[in-house]
Amino acid sequence: MKRFETRIPLILTWKHLRHGNKWTLALIIFLMAVAFINFIFISSLFNGIEESTNNQTINTATGNIMLFPEQGQEVIDNVDEIITKISQLENIIGISDQIILPATLEHENYAGSWQLLAVAPEKEKQVFNIHENIISGEYLKQDDLDGILLGIQIAGGEDVEMNAFSLHGIEVGEKINMTYNGFEKEYILRGIFQTKYINADQRAYITQASLNSLSPAFADKATTISLKIFNSSNEQDMIEELKNLDINETIYSWEEVAGLMKSLTKSFTSINILLSFVAILIAIFTIFIVIYVDVSSKRQQIGILRAIGIRPYIIVSGYLIQTAIYSLAGVLLGLAIFYGILTPYFNAFPFELPIGDVVLITNAPEMIGRTETFIWISIITSLFPVLAVTRTKLLKAIWSK
Amino acid sequence: MVKIIISIKNISKTYDMGEVKVEAIKNINFDIKQGEFIIIKGRSGSGKSTLLRQLGLLDKPTNGEIFLDKKEVTKLSSYQRSKLRLKKIGYVFQEFALIEDLTALDNVMLPAMMFCNRKQAKRKARILLKKVGLDHREKNLPKQLSGGEKQRVAIARALINSPELIFADEPTANLDTISAKGIVNIFDNLNKEGHTIVMVTHEPEDEIYANRLITLKDGKKL
Repeated sequence: MKRFETRIPLILTWKHLRHGNKWTLALIIFLMAVAFINFIFISSLFNGIEESTNNQTINTATGNIMLFPEQGQEVIDNVDEIITKISQLENIIGISDQIILPATLEHENYAGSWQLLAVAPEKEKQVFNIHENIISGEYLKQDDLDGILLGIQIAGGEDVEMNAFSLHGIEVGEKINMTYNGFEKEYILRGIFQTKYINADQRAYITQASLNSLSPAFADKATTISLKIFNSSNEQDMIEELKNLDINETIYSWEEVAGLMKSLTKSFTSINILLSFVAILIAIFTIFIVIYVDVSSKRQQIGILRAIGIRPYIIVSGYLIQTAIYSLAGVLLGLAIFYGILTPYFNAFPFELPIGDVVLITNAPEMIGRTETFIWISIITSLFPVLAVTRTKLLKAIWSK
Repeated sequence: MVKIIISIKNISKTYDMGEVKVEAIKNINFDIKQGEFIIIKGRSGSGKSTLLRQLGLLDKPTNGEIFLDKKEVTKLSSYQRSKLRLKKIGYVFQEFALIEDLTALDNVMLPAMMFCNRKQAKRKARILLKKVGLDHREKNLPKQLSGGEKQRVAIARALINSPELIFADEPTANLDTISAKGIVNIFDNLNKEGHTIVMVTHEPEDEIYANRLITLKDGKKL
């Protein structure tokens, strides 16, 4: 392109934006915005699902790091000594030791086997958020010897997913008979919790004091020790530090423990890629149709430009600049709708899934990448209708309406 | 000796309409000399506009040759013909053919911007708008102009690159009598200034301005 010619596409674009039909322009930008929102919505939903799954796993079941008995052992011994050692490390929010037992719970004519966790409630609060999800009654107190806390899926109720296999709507204050490995004890239901994470909601909790009163052999023992740390991106560093503490226990990150969740999130990633590809196709077809209709309506104007000697590549460049502006404006409008309307809406009314409440989550690098992709897709896609129209026979173009 | 700008040799144009082939012009020969004002006349469907489009390099004849400044132009690529149109030919359409999103000034200066900067193009365009009596309407869009004003903008645009030849395809057909007379006067003045003009018209009263009349009947030159 010669020096003087370079300005013509810019001038044509500017004049078109300034003097062209404002409603048509608004409609094109709105359609671009819809295509862009479609392009980012599914991925941000999957980001939300992945983040919700990870957070629920960490906050209700595993913490960031878990210690298990060393190879060949069934329990961790000398728990207090291990916790004292770990407490010396920096970046630790909380440490909670648990004894997990397979117990049978019975109430009136209903019974079932669930995981029963014996915990120290005050330590537990520092690592997990079960205490923040009490929907009836209250959380366990540190020295409660008779109290039990049930997840909603064990307590049951009319709207509960696993009601058929639950205690069918047991209420706070009612009695539950617990049996484990020949031990039997009657507990009083102190509270019911609902994390909305179905795995966590199928657990029951008693205090370690209560278990120790039932069987003193459990004192200073645990089946797991969970750690919550400040910066979850430092999990591997923390694991290295723990290994240097002369601890024999097996140490895993939450991702290694929650293998099922990891495979689930991997599946989400695959589905996300597939749906992103579909969203790209939808964007391509939408942009193609929008630009084709727009350019076709200007077939005569393009013919006139060619007739007065403006070279086709200058006309094509002008339309590509126009498309880039349309798509940029569409992206900006799409972002405004996405962050100004959709995100606040779904924060207020999240999707309720069995892994918990899911909101739309985006991250800056992905958003920048998708924005760039969308603009390039727009420009490349628009090239086809623009070339098709500029290659129409000159006379046919000039006298077309 | 007067220079021959265009020479056409046996040009014919046949339109392929599927099963039917329409021969719009048949074996036409003539020369256009510098400074001539030629009027091409004939009934509707006689091939006047088809002939003008071949001369204006907007279309290619099916047969025959066209020499522009002694150079054969029918075999040229679309790019080369576009370049020639820009430099040597000014074309005025019956339906004005202005760019709707551009002001009168922008419409006129656009072809000049292929050769010179915006400032120079604007200066030339203003001079031409003044020449056609529209200097006060330079900021108006085509939709804000009357038919006669639009055609005067189109004439100014055709003149912007100082072409040797100006082709006008029924430039007064969509205009009232007063506007039409004004437009023909502009062409007459341009011719007096030395421009070579070829105009297609239906109007018998325009013939008085012409140096030469070419009459077409059923695609043939009489």
